[in-house]
Amino acid sequence: MKRLLGVALGILTAIGGFVDIGDLVTNAVVGSRFGLSLIWVVVVGVVGICVFANMSGRVAAASGRATFEVIRERLGPRAGLANLSASFLINLMTVTAEIGGIALALQLASSVNYLLWIPLAAVAVWLVIWRVKFSIMENVTGLLGLTLIVFAVALFLLKPDWGNLASQAIPAVPAEETGATYWYFAIALFGAAMTPYEVFFFSSGAVEEGWKIKDLIQSRINVLVGFPLGGLLSVAIAGCAAVVLLPAGISVTSLSQVILPVAEGAGKLGLAVVLLGIVAATFGAALETTLSSGYTLAQFFGWSWGKFRAPAQAARFHLAMIICLLVGLGVLATGVDPVLVTEYSVVFSAVALPLTYLPILIVANDPQYMGQHVNGRGVNVVAMVYLVVILVASLAAIPLMIVTGAGA
Amino acid sequence: MKTPRPLGSVPLAPVPPVAGQTLDAQLHLLDRQVLDSGGVPVTTVDDLELGAPEGEPETPMGTVIPPGTPAPVLTALLTGPVLGTRIFGGRPPSSRLIRIPWTDVASVGVVVQLGVSGQGLDADWVERWVRDKIIARIPGGRRDPR
Repeated sequence: MKRLLGVALGILTAIGGFVDIGDLVTNAVVGSRFGLSLIWVVVVGVVGICVFANMSGRVAAASGRATFEVIRERLGPRAGLANLSASFLINLMTVTAEIGGIALALQLASSVNYLLWIPLAAVAVWLVIWRVKFSIMENVTGLLGLTLIVFAVALFLLKPDWGNLASQAIPAVPAEETGATYWYFAIALFGAAMTPYEVFFFSSGAVEEGWKIKDLIQSRINVLVGFPLGGLLSVAIAGCAAVVLLPAGISVTSLSQVILPVAEGAGKLGLAVVLLGIVAATFGAALETTLSSGYTLAQFFGWSWGKFRAPAQAARFHLAMIICLLVGLGVLATGVDPVLVTEYSVVFSAVALPLTYLPILIVANDPQYMGQHVNGRGVNVVAMVYLVVILVASLAAIPLMIVTGAGA
Repeated sequence: MKTPRPLGSVPLAPVPPVAGQTLDAQLHLLDRQVLDSGGVPVTTVDDLELGAPEGEPETPMGTVIPPGTPAPVLTALLTGPVLGTRIFGGRPPSSRLIRIPWTDVASVGVVVQLGVSGQGLDADWVERWVRDKIIARIPGGRRDPR
């Protein structure tokens, strides 16, 4: 019974923890401009993150080594440092976007300017990292994030023409958009679903929670059930935007437009619930990305890390996270639009994906690390297909960004 | 690590058979995580130091090694500024190297396990400094989260 509860809790937190500011903004933008014609990308992305998270979780459980230790060891110090620089900067960008997201949601709830909420949000994030137990942190934010199901509820309450909506789901470039913008947003959506920080966090979390091989089944269920259901939430966000914003000709540039369809479909109560959900989802993601920045640095340089240790037992790890939060605060204090930061961060996430994906794939096939738990043939076939997809997306992202003027 | 053989020189004698585990410096030692006796991460193996076997004279840097000289042995794992020079080139002076003597190493697997506590090691001084001067002074810094 306890085990069953554990599995249920794991699945629920995986669903609630799947959506972050990147998913919220990108899905709403895409829904408002392309309808559901890019929904297939969410499916591709969700399958990808399942494969990837599963592999890195297995590496962590079988060898006790987290992602960046493996990256440094396989790539050596030079390529490892280049990788660290890219991954770390993009992660820092995501930290900034998530904290901005918390502040924007709180602004919508309170009418107090988001710039005033930013220091509060950052301090709250730091306090949780400093004091709260890892599993409590994960479960509380994950469960509260589940309230984002209100997007699905709102979609039903909007009573859309389901036949029309389904016919939109066929991949096609809408008449008023160009092929380049279509593919640019396809990559953004892919990057939002498969953000690299989720993998740093997932594998380091496996070490934090002391996973052994016998826990792998539970983690596999969490991932294989939780992430696809989380992906459904993404689809609901895009669906809401496609039903309300696309016909009205509104393209999303702010968080208030993301939640507009919920207000229209589910009223004041829905609005309250969705704001709670967004705060929880961005707060949870802010915790995960901040921890990820500490994880990547500590694992590259071999510092002591982990929330399972007292902060004094992992001093440089905690100092690094404090500095990252301060940098994020500094960036947001310039008044840069957090939604814009988010839009760039998901595309750069797609650019950086191969850097983390390839080393994990190599080590997952190394018997010295994995013993008998190396990748099976089936996993490797899927993993190789995704390697190609990820490489193509990564190489095409920057040229498409330039050609389309970042999707304008 | 690699020493290219000058053209036309005599090929090296084959490696004599050795008992026990054979370690490849590149594959098994460099860039591995180092844990102390309590399982706490200390550092990563940033470089290795080789020296003459015990009782043999050191060959000074830059001189030709005469034939028949006994093979060098691994004396220490290196960390600290040597990481920078390994990435960007150059070599720090010997006095600037932070060493973990090879005799402190207990075992080599997917991690390098030390037989001593990290608390007394030079390799851990930055961690201790950050802990004592910053992190431990913030309220709750020493509280065990579990």
